[in-house]
Amino acid sequence: MSTPSRKRLMRDFKRLQHDPPAGISGAPQDNNIMLWNAVIFGPDDTPWDGGTFKLTLQFTEDYPNKPPTVRFVSRMFHPNIYADGSICLDILQNQWSPIYDVAAILTSIQSLLCDPNPNSPANSEAARMYSENRREYNRKVREVVEQSWTAE
Amino acid sequence: MESEEDMLDARSATSDDGFYPNNDDECDSDRMSMGYRYEEEDDDDGMDGDEDAYEDDFLQYGSDEDALHSGRPSYTGRQQLPYTVLTEEAITERQDAAIESVASVLSISRAQACLILRKHEWCVSRVNEEWFADESRVRNCVGLIEKSIKPSMTGQRDIREIKCGICLEYHRIETMQACCCDHYFCQSCWRAYAHTAICDGPGCLSLRCPNPDCNAAVGDELILKLVLEEDKRKYRHYITRSYVEENRRAKWCPAPGCEYAIEFTPGGDIQDVTCNCGHNFCWNCSEEAHRPVECVTVERWILKNSAESENMNWILANSKPCPKCKRPIEKNLGCMHITCTPPCKFEFCWLCLGAWSEHGERTGGFYACNRYEAEKKEGKHDETERRREMAKNSLERYTHYYERWASNEQSKAKALSDLKQLQITQLEKLSDKHSLPMSQLKFLVEAWLQIVECRRVLKWTYAYGYYLPENEATKKQFFEYLQGQAETALERLHQCAEKEVKAHLDGDASNVTFTDFRTKLAGLTSVTKNYFQRLVDAFENGLAEVKDSTAVNTTVQASVKGKCSRSKASSSRSNNASRVVDDEGHWYCRHCTFANTGCSTTCSMCHLETMI
Repeated sequence: MSTPSRKRLMRDFKRLQHDPPAGISGAPQDNNIMLWNAVIFGPDDTPWDGGTFKLTLQFTEDYPNKPPTVRFVSRMFHPNIYADGSICLDILQNQWSPIYDVAAILTSIQSLLCDPNPNSPANSEAARMYSENRREYNRKVREVVEQSWTAE
Repeated sequence: MESEEDMLDARSATSDDGFYPNNDDECDSDRMSMGYRYEEEDDDDGMDGDEDAYEDDFLQYGSDEDALHSGRPSYTGRQQLPYTVLTEEAITERQDAAIESVASVLSISRAQACLILRKHEWCVSRVNEEWFADESRVRNCVGLIEKSIKPSMTGQRDIREIKCGICLEYHRIETMQACCCDHYFCQSCWRAYAHTAICDGPGCLSLRCPNPDCNAAVGDELILKLVLEEDKRKYRHYITRSYVEENRRAKWCPAPGCEYAIEFTPGGDIQDVTCNCGHNFCWNCSEEAHRPVECVTVERWILKNSAESENMNWILANSKPCPKCKRPIEKNLGCMHITCTPPCKFEFCWLCLGAWSEHGERTGGFYACNRYEAEKKEGKHDETERRREMAKNSLERYTHYYERWASNEQSKAKALSDLKQLQITQLEKLSDKHSLPMSQLKFLVEAWLQIVECRRVLKWTYAYGYYLPENEATKKQFFEYLQGQAETALERLHQCAEKEVKAHLDGDASNVTFTDFRTKLAGLTSVTKNYFQRLVDAFENGLAEVKDSTAVNTTVQASVKGKCSRSKASSSRSNNASRVVDDEGHWYCRHCTFANTGCSTTCSMCHLETMI
């Protein structure tokens, strides 16, 4: 059962283990290399600092020619993250390239946390608050950071 | 084009073969001959099986191909059709010629030429112009990078092995591929990359290097070298399609299932197009051919037919809103005392929309609401009432035209299926029964083709009629007169073709009566053709004949009886000054259009002196 996508995912996994980028971790679920669990740590010195946000990545046999479906399991409050946890990010849609690997995906999502794009809002309340009332926005972010420690 | 010449010759031959007793002055037979241009079918060995089968199917009644084409009525001038019908092979040929020309002039590869042409609507002269004006801009926008010689050596393990950025495995450099940049990937990754793109649709034609930072375009050369047979076929198909879809001079025939494309000849004035599949459409708007009616009229009409606004008009015309809850109420029967449905239950008077409780002796009793009558007498005509009245009138008017438009469409569809039926079975049957060669029966096909064409024209004249301004009464009269005449002729032709043929198919009609039938039908075909030609001509010059309104009403030409008595029988033509008597001896009053019998000079309806 070694298809090109599975082989490639094994390589992605090895790379994450041997040379993990700061603030992210990820691993396939037991017995299923096509479904991964990952954690993104909130970047230091930002409102996201200290948060541990869980995600799942669902791959298909088209990987790496097609991106995985990435979704936050932890509750989020972010202009580009939908209520169901799915993410509005260009490289996960039309700007995808087979060059990207799991590490690149998770790093991009991590940087999206502090650098949202309020022009294509997935959560309009968060987008409005981000542009109009940054204090309140930061307070809401702190809320989800604290929830990320306790939520199952 | 040789074959075209041949066809024209054949055509002029067929129009002289004596089936046209009435091939008269009105219509210049030259102009009426139809012009079709075929893409050198005779020389085309590569024509695929489907197409052959199709042609055979369409030309059921024998080997006499030209008869069908020349029989088809068309109001397009025959010389130099401004367009060409292209088969898939012809498209590929043209595409190849364009690529070859660009590749040799710009000294680039064919794959690169193809990429550039696609970005410039397949117009060779535009490519040349832009390229020589600013080559680097063109290269940049298409994604043609001038290739550096060496592949990048990042991820190098052995001097001869590099890491593929997609599968992250090491491969020997000579087994790897790059487009016009220096990003090398292994063959199987390239294949999968291209396969994914091809499965996603025609976007694969704009495929770029897998490296997200690289703008290099992936040309057809590389893709066709790598992918599997099925993907190659799809990719080639997309390239062929792009020639039509990204090209302003070409269009697909909009008929469902038709695979021909139409390309117009630069400088030509293009209007209606007849595809080889038989579909007639307007080049400008791609709707079914509607000449002589203009695209704007057709667009408005189609929009109107589909528009919700007609429903609104109906509601406005036939209902009133409840004065309390504002829901529309339709009053179909009964007295003026209306009780709105629950939960509203408001009781009101239909006439004045006032509360029913106020209706009593004072206002003239329950069943005669004087308020309304009084208001009307005083001239205080309610604004909404007037609007409602207008909407009702306009709806009735619209319904009148729509019904006629739609029923002609139905008749046209029926005629097309009858024609097919004729070609599939009836022609052979008739040929056996009357021991006539197929070529002697083409008058039937011609009649049906004429019917189809006339139904189409007639249909659109109703859309035109709807939009003809009310204040141009003379124009309207003249138009309706022409339309009425054409319609009567068509009805006679259609009836003859539909009903009378049955006797010859099933009955024991002799050869002698069959000859009569032939003469009659061919005659009707020709007469109908003339009437429609006149109608089309009048449209084309904007009914200019009635511009001089003083000249109108001096003469009566003819009127139409029966179904089309709408015609007002007035015309500016002053050549036929006397009254017109039809074949049953009726003459038509020029004042009231009543069909009089006998030879009196006074109309028995309006008692006005009519004889001149």
